[in-house]
Amino acid sequence: MGDLTRVTINFDTSHLLFPTLIGCVLGLLALAIVIRDRKSVLNAHRHWAQVMRATDKPRFFGTLALTILYFSLMVPVGDIWPNTGMGFLLCSIPFVALTGLLFMHDRSLKHALPMLIVSVVAPLIVWWLFTDLFYLTLP
Amino acid sequence: MDMFEFLSPLFVLLTIGGTLVGIIFGAIPGMTATMAVAVCLPVTYSLGLENGLALLLGLYVGGISGGLVPAILLGIPGTPSSITTTLDGYPMAKQGHGEKALRIGIIASLVGGLISLVILDLFAPALADFAIRFSYVEKFLIILFALSVMAALSSDLLLGIFSGFLGIFISLIGTYDVTKGGNGEWRLIPPGTEYWLESGFSLLPVLIGLFGLAAILDEAQTGALPGMSQKDIKIGQSERFSLRIFKGQTVNLIRSSCIGTFVGILPGVGGSAASILSYSNAKTFSKNPENFGKGEPAGIMASEAGNNGLTGGALVPLLSLGIPGDSATALLIGAFTLQGVQVGPLFIANNPVTWDAMIIAMLIANLAMFVLMYFAIRYFAMVVTVPKHILFPVILMMCVIGAYTINYGIMFDVWTLLIFGIFGWMMSKLRLEVAPFIIGFILGPSAEVYFVKTLESFGDVSIFFTKSPIAVVLWLLIVGSIGGSIWLHRSASKHRDA
Repeated sequence: MGDLTRVTINFDTSHLLFPTLIGCVLGLLALAIVIRDRKSVLNAHRHWAQVMRATDKPRFFGTLALTILYFSLMVPVGDIWPNTGMGFLLCSIPFVALTGLLFMHDRSLKHALPMLIVSVVAPLIVWWLFTDLFYLTLP
Repeated sequence: MDMFEFLSPLFVLLTIGGTLVGIIFGAIPGMTATMAVAVCLPVTYSLGLENGLALLLGLYVGGISGGLVPAILLGIPGTPSSITTTLDGYPMAKQGHGEKALRIGIIASLVGGLISLVILDLFAPALADFAIRFSYVEKFLIILFALSVMAALSSDLLLGIFSGFLGIFISLIGTYDVTKGGNGEWRLIPPGTEYWLESGFSLLPVLIGLFGLAAILDEAQTGALPGMSQKDIKIGQSERFSLRIFKGQTVNLIRSSCIGTFVGILPGVGGSAASILSYSNAKTFSKNPENFGKGEPAGIMASEAGNNGLTGGALVPLLSLGIPGDSATALLIGAFTLQGVQVGPLFIANNPVTWDAMIIAMLIANLAMFVLMYFAIRYFAMVVTVPKHILFPVILMMCVIGAYTINYGIMFDVWTLLIFGIFGWMMSKLRLEVAPFIIGFILGPSAEVYFVKTLESFGDVSIFFTKSPIAVVLWLLIVGSIGGSIWLHRSASKHRDA
């Protein structure tokens, strides 16, 4: 028993020991899940098709697209006015407004107006708070 | 007086303000205390540790408490921890006693919060004193125990364990930290991403993504249905409220608070388990169990005392062992990290002022929650009607701020937010559990150091079983929690089949 449990750790490769061990455990667990839930795994495409059917596609993918666009534009816009946080401010206003409009069901002026006001005021307050009060860097 | 040097008007104001914002978050269905803490975390950067914690603890207590408002008035739990409050709260509201039900819930929440605070104050230092003696072996086994408890309490044991180990695996991406005794080599970094992943994924963007963006994506997926209108709110007419309704309920309140606190101490177990356990116990020991579910005040008391009991309990493992008790306290680790403070067995001894500040902040937050909600309950009832199309884009913007400023302006952290937001959304579709994943992600790097260093020192795997009587007890607890879970799942499926 003594020799069986004995191990020598090579310091140069010690960074791989724990990830390998956890990777093996994950592999075994994944195998156990696949064996136990083989029917569900085989029918995974049906599950995802069901998820997609139940998804409000314009709102879900619209939110994702707007978020990716928002993140992608922040730095290039910010680089035009470096160290001012303008990238955050100028991208956040249309992002909040468009996402708000996307989430809305009744897009009448009466309902849209408060949301449009918030989409200007909220980023302005946050921008002022973080750049002027907390002195934190924004893109 | 030095002991309370942190107690400034700003400290009190931040605690009360945090509680107010937390109640609003908790009162809006789909928004949780965890989300409140995640969104407001960046505000703590410039506040200092004590003031920052005051704000976050206020958010935490307020967020857990606010969930009772929609649970009672709409029959929709504002947070998962208010799930059993709906069972008796909503029937009471339908009978025209909405305000009365809310006041019962608010008082029970206060009792639960205060009892758990006393237990936190007494128990955490004692546990920390005990844990100081732990070697790397016991520390590793404590992490294993935390993961096994969480997995055991997951709806699916195997998926729960898988989620926990997946969290550990992802936390290992990056460099094996030299400052923790590692060799400074990279691992698990996909080619071409070395520049961004050299230090792995930052904790806070991961947490904000999993709890903030994932919830918003979920809302978008289901079509962001319009919220309730004022006419849906069943608050009823103002009626005289008497504390006599609590007569004969002292045992129920104390028992439920203690159950909530105990559940909080178990790592990763959420408030829903606390309220369900408290509620089912109250029903079992009640003289009128048949009234439960039909508008029984004792049911609201049990549920709310239980879920607010969780608040103090969840801080016990965090402050004594460095293991978060639930997802919101996992975010508090982020606040400590921001200020360069490490939580663990030495935290209370090394940071007595911060410890006192946390206790006082919790006390103020509980009292503020009571005063704000009790006397302004009709105004908070209106909060449930705030449109989501206004809230969610603003929350998403705040998530970006939190992720971007965590490392003082790294855009990759914002992309991390998106990656883990999508990942969190997919986890819910794949029935993977977020809580074990988070605990695994937070504790993975420590688990690695404890494991590898133990083997380097002793050169024998058997040391994990033979190091000390505590190690043996911990193994028994690990096996017991997994065995108990298997037994519970089997008996539950037998009941279903019967």
